[in-house]
Amino acid sequence: MSNGALDRPTFEAIEAYVLERLSADERAAFERRMATDADLRAEVELERENIRAVELGGMQRTLRSIVEEEHGQRTSPNGWTGYLKYAAMLAAVVASALWLLRPTGGERLYSEYFSPDPGLPVAMGAAADPAFADAMVSYKEGEYDEALSKWAPLLQADPMNDTLRYYLACAHLAQGATSEAVPLLEGIANEERSAFHRKARWYLFLAHVRNGDASAVGKSPLDEDSVYGERARLIKAALKP
Amino acid sequence: MEARAYIAAPPAWVAGLRRNDAATLRALYEKHFPAIRQYVLQNSGTGNDAQDVFQEAVTVLWMSVKEGRMVPDADPGGFLYRVAKNKWLDVVRSAAHKHMKVVHDDRTLDRGADVDDDIEERIARLRGVYEKLDDKCRSVLDRFYFERKDLATIANEMGVEEESIRTIKYRCMMKLRAFRKAISGEDQQAR
Repeated sequence: MSNGALDRPTFEAIEAYVLERLSADERAAFERRMATDADLRAEVELERENIRAVELGGMQRTLRSIVEEEHGQRTSPNGWTGYLKYAAMLAAVVASALWLLRPTGGERLYSEYFSPDPGLPVAMGAAADPAFADAMVSYKEGEYDEALSKWAPLLQADPMNDTLRYYLACAHLAQGATSEAVPLLEGIANEERSAFHRKARWYLFLAHVRNGDASAVGKSPLDEDSVYGERARLIKAALKP
Repeated sequence: MEARAYIAAPPAWVAGLRRNDAATLRALYEKHFPAIRQYVLQNSGTGNDAQDVFQEAVTVLWMSVKEGRMVPDADPGGFLYRVAKNKWLDVVRSAAHKHMKVVHDDRTLDRGADVDDDIEERIARLRGVYEKLDDKCRSVLDRFYFERKDLATIANEMGVEEESIRTIKYRCMMKLRAFRKAISGEDQQAR
């Protein structure tokens, strides 16, 4: 491969060959030249690679715009490392802003201690209840409105179902709608046989903290809980005047 | 009876990828993204994670087709799912994601059957080449080589003379050539 400049006519002849824009006669003549010219063969391979690189860039830009159009949000500009870098930068900026603008009292403690329930695993093709599983996928994606609208009719059909009541409450909590979550959680917090009993008591406590319901917070029996007790005591201490 | 040789036409999606057809990419997304999203979500990932692995998988599919490595009648859905799944498992197994759990793994893990070992390396190399281009070069070269528009159309879209587009295209491609030659020279010196 020559290290000198490549003149424009030769560049365009190679381009026409790579893009298959030569007639059959022109193509045969070009290939005869290549057969005896190693430099030309090397230039063809180099130009083919460079054109492929441009096509790859264009394809990824197009695909990104299709995905963004469907989801209305970002995707990674440069693969995983690019995404993680920007996500970390964004998280740092958001954390700084939250610190500077942090609310006081119950809201601040709620933000500090609340983390959404991660949801239940959804086994592909094996879900006993596909409607519930579909809503769970929405919940795990952070589409809480969608999850609520899918679970709500299921609860109407089965109003005592503790799993539905618990995850409806979780979706409300994740949206900051603690008042809507409280009545759902109160029921489960009193049902000791429910698998969600303990977590419901914790989330109910947090909801009361955010709502500024000092009486309910004070009455919470969480202090002695082996998992949540320490956090409950810290919150109560922080709320004392 | 005279024997005839039949050459089967490639499936529409293969032909579409070969000519960089955006509608084909959209169709692949609409048909195959939901299964991949489902897999990532049920294995501790997010919707954004699913988008990322889907895009990576389509890139591998696209490159395989472009380089003639893809069996023309192969199912793109199965291919995309396997590649995306392997990519997500790589993430889950990485040090930063040790806490994640794979809760469901009912399909055969068979990376070697679909993806040549060097294809991802080649994609990374070509991405590096593309990143050397400035915005002006990308704008012209994308339209000519990816969108397959002719010089007159590009000139009209950008409000300049056709000859200017031809010159810009040549200069931009010479920048890539110079970059590649510099890399090639460094490689030879290193040996």
